[in-house]
Amino acid sequence: MAGQSDAELSLFSAEELEFIAEDEIVDIVPNLKMGPLNFISGDFGPFIPQIVAQVPLWLAVALKKRGKCSICPPQWMSVDKLTQVLEAERNSQEMSEQLPFHYVEISRLLFDHAHDDIPDAYMVSIKMVLPCRIMPWGFFKCFALLSSVQVRSLIEDIRDVRFHKVETDLEAFNGRTIAVKIKNLSAMEVNIVRPFIGRALQAFYKHDSPELIPDPERVPDRRPQVVQNAPRRQLRR
Amino acid sequence: MAKYYDIDDIITEEEIVSVIFQKPASGVGIDPSSETDFIETGSKVELPFWLAHELQLRQAVSVNVPPCFNQKTRLEIQADSASVDLRSRCPFFYEFGCKIAPIVSDRTIGFLLLSAFKSRYKEVLTKAHTAAFAAGSKFWTILTKEEINLYEAAQSAMISFKKWRKGGPRFQIASILGRKRKSTE
Repeated sequence: MAGQSDAELSLFSAEELEFIAEDEIVDIVPNLKMGPLNFISGDFGPFIPQIVAQVPLWLAVALKKRGKCSICPPQWMSVDKLTQVLEAERNSQEMSEQLPFHYVEISRLLFDHAHDDIPDAYMVSIKMVLPCRIMPWGFFKCFALLSSVQVRSLIEDIRDVRFHKVETDLEAFNGRTIAVKIKNLSAMEVNIVRPFIGRALQAFYKHDSPELIPDPERVPDRRPQVVQNAPRRQLRR
Repeated sequence: MAKYYDIDDIITEEEIVSVIFQKPASGVGIDPSSETDFIETGSKVELPFWLAHELQLRQAVSVNVPPCFNQKTRLEIQADSASVDLRSRCPFFYEFGCKIAPIVSDRTIGFLLLSAFKSRYKEVLTKAHTAAFAAGSKFWTILTKEEINLYEAAQSAMISFKKWRKGGPRFQIASILGRKRKSTE
């Protein structure tokens, strides 16, 4: 885990971020009848078959593992929306604000535990694209939509584009700019660059300190001070 | 004293600097070239930094600018800082520079350090987060200790993220448990 042995830079590991992301609320369609669950974080349920309920992601995953529900993927996890976001990300240097803070973790959790729910959600979008079959390339487009592979690769692409943007933003660091403003950065993206930025800023701060790059007037009275200190210390003994 | 136990700090202070004695000293065997144990005023001796610093505080010596901050290195850094082999010159280039700058009263060292770090930082940044970059390559060998720390911080963060994304077993069985079960079978 990045920097865990280093007490100075106390960091989250990717697994810990995933744990935090599990508190996000998702919609599920349960197939069991159960009364409401009362947790410290709130009350969830009651669960009635075929009636959508809102639960935290961890509970959704736990129910899904037991085959007690199907998870409705969040709205942003559709091919249409993701293509739109990717387009927006490519077109501007600004980070898009359309994705949730934990999009990397949520998408991974859903792919791992509920990937059979994801293609279902795209039947809608497939129907919308079907008229494209008239055009020669339309057929291939439909074909690609049939699996969740496209969603996965779209999210990967978005993450790559965004990460590249972060890197170009970080190039702006030099001694004088001690901060860079990057809006809408997601949790995982921050976590990846955190150890690097922390150290880089420390180094810049150290090398830009007024002691090393002094004002011309201040220098003359600094040096003799050091020299005077030595005999004074001896007197005290 | 915060860095008293810092091994990197200790190694940094081991760096050799050449000094000129301002006062005669007797009974010291620190100059291997002299036949007697007596050092005359004005003789040039190479000492580790920690000793030179203490002697300088007592005005016994004056410290020369070490070779890694000489004019030749400066010109190379100005020309193409990213490809200068700072590691062979001084593995703790920046830390040593910070320590030596107030002693040799050379104000330009501070600027040199900052400008060198600024331009080399960009090089490290562009390469650090691509995990495909092999550790044995040439780029790795010219970095100073501080830059390597930076590089490794970025690399380990990226690697742990990639590991997480790939998945795999979440709960690992302790090796001792596996062995025990095997022996009973």
